[in-house]
Amino acid sequence: MTTNLSDYVSSREAVLDRVRRMLRDTMKLRIEPEAIDPDVPLFGTGLGMDSVDAVELVVQLDAVFGLTLAGSPWVSAKLRTVNTIVDAILELGNET
Amino acid sequence: MSESPHITGWGIASALGVGRDRFCAALLRGESGITTVHRFDTSPFTTHVGAMVAGYESDDRDPSLLSHEFGMLALRDSLAHARLELEALQSMRVTLTLGASLFGDHTTERLAHDLAKELGISGPAITISTACTSSTQAIGFGADLIGEGFADVVLAGGIDVLTPALFAGFHALGVLSERPCTPFGRQMGTTLGEGAGFVVIERGGLRDAVTRARLRGYGLSGDAYHETSPEPRGRGVAAAIRGALDDAGASAAEIGYLNAHGTGTVANDTAEWCAVQSVFGSDLGGSLALSSSKGHLGHAQSAAGVLEVITTLECMGAGLAPTTAGFEEARPGGPPRPVGSKQPKPLVYELALSSNSAFGGSNCALVFGKAKPATVSDDERRRVFVSGATALCAGVSCIEELASICAAESPLSKAELQIDLALELPRVDLRGIDRASELLTTVVSRALADAGAQLRGETRARTGLIAGVLRASPDSLYRFRTSLERRGFAKPDTTAFAQVLPSAAQGACAKALNIRGPQSTVTIGEGSGLMAAVMSAWMLARRRDSDRIVAAAVDVRSEQSAEGALVDAACALVLCTEPTAVEVAGIGLAGPGQLDEAITEAKRRSGLSERVELLVELPNPFGGMPATSSAFALAHAIGSLRRGKSKTALVATTGTTASVAMILTSNEVTHDD
Amino acid sequence: MRLEDEYRSLRHGAALSRMDHVGLVRVSGDDATEAVDAICSGDLWVRDGRMLQTLILGEPGQPVADVYVCPDDDACVLMFEGITTEELSACLAEYAQPELAIELEDLRPAYELISVNGPYAWEALSKWLTPDVIGLPYLSFYHFDRGTCFRAGKTGEYGYDLAVRSGYVERAWEELLALVGALGGGEASLETLDLCALENGFFSVRHASVEGLTPLELQLQWRVSARKRFPGAAAIEERRAKGMERRLTHFVAREGVESGDPIRDADGPVGQVTAAAFSPGIGGVAGMALLDLSVAHPGIDAFFVPGPNVERPIRTVSSPLLFNRSLLVDPHRRTYATRDETSDPPLWLGSLP
Repeated sequence: MTTNLSDYVSSREAVLDRVRRMLRDTMKLRIEPEAIDPDVPLFGTGLGMDSVDAVELVVQLDAVFGLTLAGSPWVSAKLRTVNTIVDAILELGNET
Repeated sequence: MSESPHITGWGIASALGVGRDRFCAALLRGESGITTVHRFDTSPFTTHVGAMVAGYESDDRDPSLLSHEFGMLALRDSLAHARLELEALQSMRVTLTLGASLFGDHTTERLAHDLAKELGISGPAITISTACTSSTQAIGFGADLIGEGFADVVLAGGIDVLTPALFAGFHALGVLSERPCTPFGRQMGTTLGEGAGFVVIERGGLRDAVTRARLRGYGLSGDAYHETSPEPRGRGVAAAIRGALDDAGASAAEIGYLNAHGTGTVANDTAEWCAVQSVFGSDLGGSLALSSSKGHLGHAQSAAGVLEVITTLECMGAGLAPTTAGFEEARPGGPPRPVGSKQPKPLVYELALSSNSAFGGSNCALVFGKAKPATVSDDERRRVFVSGATALCAGVSCIEELASICAAESPLSKAELQIDLALELPRVDLRGIDRASELLTTVVSRALADAGAQLRGETRARTGLIAGVLRASPDSLYRFRTSLERRGFAKPDTTAFAQVLPSAAQGACAKALNIRGPQSTVTIGEGSGLMAAVMSAWMLARRRDSDRIVAAAVDVRSEQSAEGALVDAACALVLCTEPTAVEVAGIGLAGPGQLDEAITEAKRRSGLSERVELLVELPNPFGGMPATSSAFALAHAIGSLRRGKSKTALVATTGTTASVAMILTSNEVTHDD
Repeated sequence: MRLEDEYRSLRHGAALSRMDHVGLVRVSGDDATEAVDAICSGDLWVRDGRMLQTLILGEPGQPVADVYVCPDDDACVLMFEGITTEELSACLAEYAQPELAIELEDLRPAYELISVNGPYAWEALSKWLTPDVIGLPYLSFYHFDRGTCFRAGKTGEYGYDLAVRSGYVERAWEELLALVGALGGGEASLETLDLCALENGFFSVRHASVEGLTPLELQLQWRVSARKRFPGAAAIEERRAKGMERRLTHFVAREGVESGDPIRDADGPVGQVTAAAFSPGIGGVAGMALLDLSVAHPGIDAFFVPGPNVERPIRTVSSPLLFNRSLLVDPHRRTYATRDETSDPPLWLGSLP
């Protein structure tokens, strides 16, 4: 639910930017963060991450955002695109 | 025709017991050596099992001490089995080929050096560091050394120690099974192990020895696919198996038993099964028995190959096929009926095949026969030529510049070496490539271009790569170690883990350039570059699985290493069988400090009667590059011959664990073979 | 079958489809890779036996074809939608250097394409081909005696596109139909495939009205190289420099929302619907809209489609919409017959506005 649209968009864009930077650094991509589409698939196609990258991603998400996914049965659903990661982080923020 | 090398003995230190007697007893009882790990804390991990060497389960001494101890136990055991007294051994021409990929502060050749010293053997010690195919390759190269007459006896094997760092890396990759692994079975994942094993390989007629088996042939290939996953259809594994069969002059139907790599992981077992079916037919011709020994011994990494070979040889001699410990029900996509009885199954067979695959995509298969006489028809030896060469370090980007610096005797630039590989290889994905891989790929790519070689279609599988290195890339080592310190053992940097192997650069280079032929990473310490070239030359001359092998070397800049400050340097030479202006006329191999012997050997093999222009020595600026400097010397010699400055050249080096020599001639020079 | 039935079989079992809308060619010759590289927008970082999804763009930067590049030894197989083989040939002729040594072979009608999609599609294939097909990674392919098996799919479920030799395709169809039937499935039409693609966020070049749009707005930058030259590259650079103003965003609605509908919020227009279809999976409309960049984010409830009598609220969402059942099916552990879905999370974790 969006109570205040511009506040929501600002916080979303801030998290989006940080997640894009983190992905860019983890995947060693030589592109600007803005060139990472928010709905880009992470695995298989899209950014083409593989199982080795997945391990590093989970570690980084925990270290940078406090998002603990290891052991969660719904990990595969939460790590599908950049936007789904942002959703999970914002959800975490709403819970605390 | 020539004789297949004799195997006169073997020795082992394993989770099933130290020494053949204990090992065999446990094997025949169908026991497993996988237990709870007590050597270190496994609470950060979701699995707590491993296969530690019996009696050393809680021994947490430095891995280099443990590996030396395991190695000596296995060596003494093998010599006892071969009924070869140490004194007698010391008087023979002995070579040690050791599969070892331990990472740590020491460079990889140290272990072989110390073992040779303790045995009192003065011949060469060559270390092969290709992770899980290390000891398999060590045995295969042993056949070459005997066949080429470089050695009368080869002690071939491998050693590995299970350390917390290794456990952490594999665990983070998600490939460890929670309970003891069940290769080809229902539980996914592998269990790590450790151990040491050696096989005594001899030429016939050397002494009054009992031949226990014959080493019939070996095959090597590379997947050129991924750092840690095998090519899913097992194409590389199939190529190695076919290569081994060809080398052995055997058909698939003649193999009675196959010891698979069979780690138990999802990726390996399905890919391997695809490969086995493609070579042997989808029902294995109805008569091939297949099993994996990792249920008994765990995945012993660099020692896996030799431990599994010893398992095979013991059983073959006893009329048995080894079983797959822990197997209950076949997994989908894997072999439906591997040997999975509680104990080894009675089976009589004449030929056995053992296969292993490693991170970085290398695959190696060996064919063994029973003790009876066996010969292989000799293909005519091929002449070996040099078709490409390049050198790279600060201030040097080709062999002409190398010559200028040598001629001017000016100091090397102290500037850091800057290269942009993406510019040279625009269509290759270079993300995440580490420094050693970047340097090695640059020189190999340039050398292939210098050779005018385009890797298309079949030529990819017939082009090989032998890299001479001393250690893994320091940036990867640093990243991995730091991740353990900062993030803990539950969360190491897995990308870095895949790159902390000495063979990571060779694997990355092969993947970038699509090199799928025989490949390896070897070290003799100082002089590894020339060693790689010598190996490439003998492989091209006597084998038929490649037409071109790139011999390369790389050193990565480091302020503090065991050898002092190192600089970025890399060199690659393309050897081939098509005539060019520069020919490899002769090669020589001898023990460390035996430079004259190596030179004499090379001269003898070259058949050159006149005095050969002596040793190409590089001036001082080429210090700080222990692997590469000898390759630079070779590149310099090649340049000199190409420019017509000389007609013959001798390049030789006394490396840390071997002395190596190579004689080059310009192609017009005639010589007797 | 009705759409709902086809949809259910594809999303929960397996479904078989004809792929007559997909082109298949082989580009061979010494310069095959270079020629394909010249016309495709993405870096061709793809190995033998793997597949890479990329685009062919027009000069103004709009997607013209959706292409899988599949290196096959030294040749390149291309599986594509949006243009004809003749148009592809013309594109190569125009953009690849004329001196490049290449040959273009249309693999149709020698081969026909049929596709199996669904959480248990792998099970049908493991019986029709061999069990080791379950080891084939996503976006890989291999040749078998009667054709080639490509593991791809644009539905978010396990998907296998089979190029079958024409002489065998009818029999293959019958055999596969029986196999998917045993998995609670049947034939699925292109309409069902397109609905599933929409739900899972797969770009459809046949549906997208892409006039004036580039991969930036369409969230397809991942298919575009940051460093090489290709048709449309200049337009993209120009758009980047100017700054994009809109972005494609996914949404859900209850009903009555159609492609082309304007979208507003309380203050004024914010965008336009570009695709919409009723989804049995969510019990409502799944769609895509071009929204002003400042609000092109999931999780917003402030927008609606104005109507003469009633406003239709929309909720922007992240894609893919569904928790695809394929994510829960491990071929090593589950089969259709022994499946136990009692502890599976629901297909859709969201709610309608």
